Amino acid sequence: MNRPCPDRRDTIVDYMLGALDARQAEALREHLAECSTCREYLASIRQQSESLIDLGCQIGSGTAARQERVIDALQEIAPAKSRTRLTLPFFSGVLKTAVAAVLVLAAGITIGRWTAPRPVDVEQLRADVESSILASLAPAVREKALAQVDQRLLTALSENDAKLRADLGRQVHEDLCLLAAQSRADSEELVRMKFGELVDLIEAARSTDRQQVAKALDQIRTQTGRGLYTLAVRANDSTADLRN
Amino acid sequence: MDERSDNDLVQASCQGDRTAYAGLVGRHYGEVFLVCLGVLANVHDAEDVAQDAMIKGFERIRQLRQGSQFGGWVIAIARNLSVNLLRGRRSAQKTLGIEPVSHEHPGESDHEDLQWAVAQLPWDLRLPLVMYYFDGQNVKAVAEKLEISTSGVYQKLRTAVKELHDILTTQGDTP
Repeated sequence: MNRPCPDRRDTIVDYMLGALDARQAEALREHLAECSTCREYLASIRQQSESLIDLGCQIGSGTAARQERVIDALQEIAPAKSRTRLTLPFFSGVLKTAVAAVLVLAAGITIGRWTAPRPVDVEQLRADVESSILASLAPAVREKALAQVDQRLLTALSENDAKLRADLGRQVHEDLCLLAAQSRADSEELVRMKFGELVDLIEAARSTDRQQVAKALDQIRTQTGRGLYTLAVRANDSTADLRN
Repeated sequence: MDERSDNDLVQASCQGDRTAYAGLVGRHYGEVFLVCLGVLANVHDAEDVAQDAMIKGFERIRQLRQGSQFGGWVIAIARNLSVNLLRGRRSAQKTLGIEPVSHEHPGESDHEDLQWAVAQLPWDLRLPLVMYYFDGQNVKAVAEKLEISTSGVYQKLRTAVKELHDILTTQGDTP
């Protein structure tokens, strides 16, 4: 078919749809009276619209049967629970977020109290909690609260780490001093004990020497006595011989 | 036909009353089906998705804050399910490297030609066209259901009518 006037095409469709005001409609009718291709186009889209309505009726004729199938299918579906529950999706979501934020803050405060080196500023804490609860309506604040908790944990851990290092160093120093003192005492005791043993050995040796000397003197004395006796006997014998 | 208002039927459905929900089905199924048809351009697909939408409506009816809004609520469910199905198919076809399945041109009768031509339109143009012509809704009602302005509906209808005419004319000119 011939194409309608390009600058009239939209207007013709709008005219068919009833979207033109009276003045625009009148202007188009004047044009249509003079332009056969535009009249033909209008007739064609009107025919198309009627066909669409017929098609809708044809498709819609099966609606009742489709409804019945849906209702039959519903019989197999578990019914909505009888308990009527007030569902407020928005506030429910906000409440969940607020509860989560409060729990996170409570955990952070508890950890902070355990690890804080100085007493908690109650006023500051209350202000923090109030502002955090109000701000918790936005998800970004929850992330902020988590970041705060992380920061507190890191601070607490770093403080504990420094304290632990100092305690450990002091303890090591004390242990080393104690070990040194014990070692010195043990050494002195050992020297004393060894010295005593040495003295005992010397004393024992001296005693043995004395006994051996005494024994030797006894032998000497005995032998000397025997020699004198023999000498005396012999001298006596010699004297007797001389007398004879 | 149940004479109770949508709000009363919704309240009864919240208590597990299937009869009340059947009343809601009878009142709104036609629109739900046409929305599915408008997006999917296939009667069988539209029947399946419309049934899913009504069942989901029954399962989730306690989430509905105002019973009087049931119609728009269940239509929104139907439209989302239809669009998701359409996108899922296109995504699968793209992933698998399959050419989109074009509706076969039957060429048997005027209505089949027209149905085929309607299926060639983009779904966002087809949906207001189907609601306007198939269901006889006025532009204001279509705008409320689709949550767009009346001028937006007119613009989509104008484009849809022109493109549909071009498709049918080109197809008719083809030997």
